[in-house]
Amino acid sequence: MVEFSLPRNSVVGKGKTYPAPAGAKNVKTFRVYRWSPDDDNNPVVDSYEIDLDHIGPMVLDAIIHIKNDVDPTLTFRRSCREGICGSCAMNIDGENTLACLKPIKDVKGDVRINPLPHMPIVKDLVSNLDAAYAQLRSIEPWMKSDSAPPPDSERRQSIEERAKLDGMWECILCFCCTTSCPSYWWNGDRYLGPSVLLAAYRWIIDSRDEHTGDRLDELEDTFKLYACRTIMNCTQACPKGLNPAKAIGQIKELQLERKG
Amino acid sequence: MQDIRKALFVGSRSDGKLIQRPMSPHLQVYRFRLSMFLSILNRITGVIATGGATLGVLWLSAAAKGPKSFDTARKVTGNPLGKLVLAGWLTSVVYHTVGGIRHLMWDSGYRFEKEQINKDGPVAVGVSAGVSVLLVAALLITCGRSGGRSKVGKAS
Amino acid sequence: MDSSVSHIKVMRSQLGRARGLGAGGSGTEHWWAERVSAATLLPLSAWFVIQIFRLKGASHDTVVKWGGKPVNATMLTALIITTFHHAGVGLQVIVDDYVHGKLHKPTRILVKAATALIGLLGVFSVIKLVISGVSRKS
Repeated sequence: MVEFSLPRNSVVGKGKTYPAPAGAKNVKTFRVYRWSPDDDNNPVVDSYEIDLDHIGPMVLDAIIHIKNDVDPTLTFRRSCREGICGSCAMNIDGENTLACLKPIKDVKGDVRINPLPHMPIVKDLVSNLDAAYAQLRSIEPWMKSDSAPPPDSERRQSIEERAKLDGMWECILCFCCTTSCPSYWWNGDRYLGPSVLLAAYRWIIDSRDEHTGDRLDELEDTFKLYACRTIMNCTQACPKGLNPAKAIGQIKELQLERKG
Repeated sequence: MQDIRKALFVGSRSDGKLIQRPMSPHLQVYRFRLSMFLSILNRITGVIATGGATLGVLWLSAAAKGPKSFDTARKVTGNPLGKLVLAGWLTSVVYHTVGGIRHLMWDSGYRFEKEQINKDGPVAVGVSAGVSVLLVAALLITCGRSGGRSKVGKAS
Repeated sequence: MDSSVSHIKVMRSQLGRARGLGAGGSGTEHWWAERVSAATLLPLSAWFVIQIFRLKGASHDTVVKWGGKPVNATMLTALIITTFHHAGVGLQVIVDDYVHGKLHKPTRILVKAATALIGLLGVFSVIKLVISGVSRKS
């Protein structure tokens, strides 16, 4: 049976509180999920009271400040700080998004920060994404063509053909969408998830790729593709404004079309 | 096959000892979105509709069996609790149909943009509520009217 | 709190695990069946709601006469078959989502059997109504 409640070792308890420095005027509390393998305990939520006057506007600025000046043990992934690398994907105020693109002002009340949902936790806000990466690899996200390329130029593609890739090549593989999908929570071992299916569709409708049939064959499966229940959490969550639900719908239409 | 994901939950402590990693919270923390709620409501109303359809078949089989079984069935549907169940079932069918039409639109490729999804949700709720209220009210009114008459009229 | 693990049981590579047993080769038929039955149910349900209003509080004779008419019998049978086919596929999807492991196959079979039997009961009830209607006329 699928578990709607967390396993016993995952139930979150109350952690420490780090009060604001004296004289701080613009204080906001950040409630952050904490767990360490050396803990030997269940995860907890630590509360950090932060003076917003001395940090940047985004949630990432806040947690970097916490790590630098308040609690150096806080662990999270980050890199570009401009919404293009996908590292800082986490669940902020209940929704999956990039910490570097989420303004602190947008959150009313305490800022609750949790790791991406229903994932194995390595430490604090770092989740293990191996399964998702392997699923991406399994759909073979590269050009597969049997004809030789023109000897003196690139493989040509019209403006209209290239336009079909818009809305998909921009995916930064942050997995906000995949980990927001309840179907992926319950069946993520067999369902590929919105991000991977978006990547699959990017190659399916690339006019230069010649293995469209094989790609569609690989997705013709009750779970790999059809575990999508059009819940639409993915499109709601995408921090880059992409539409995985629509791409999945288009894959289903292609599957139907070739069955005649 | 479920063990495939379970394997990723094995981690190690700093001293090398293998331990079980926790799972990050999901339903417990995910923000309530109307679209998510309407989606699960479609499933719930589908199950209720199936239950009601089963009762409907039982009613039909009572009618087919004979006047005595039909009378028993009539007592059930006439009873206030029976009427409540019927109203609840009708509301579920209406919502499931409206939600179903929304799904059929998505499956045909329409109304996928985020703004459209968020606009259509409240419309679906409004239409379902409106149609349900109309139907249930009409049912209760006509039921009240014909309930007294039928026992007398068309017997022979 | 004992969170220790004795040894690593699964060492298959991530890619091997993601590929799993490969694509099953089916899925489109069920998906299409759910949609076709849904679309068919739209006019059939509308017809049925109208009939509920006509039959509310009716006597047994009225119901039998109504069910005996060929048009009503046909629409009823179509409604019953389509409803329970749609319900069967929908319930199967629910079982796929939530029931895993050893319980999965028995639950799926149970769901399919239940919807099929109830559907059959409905169809035979209609047939009986038609026959009762015929025998009454003569």
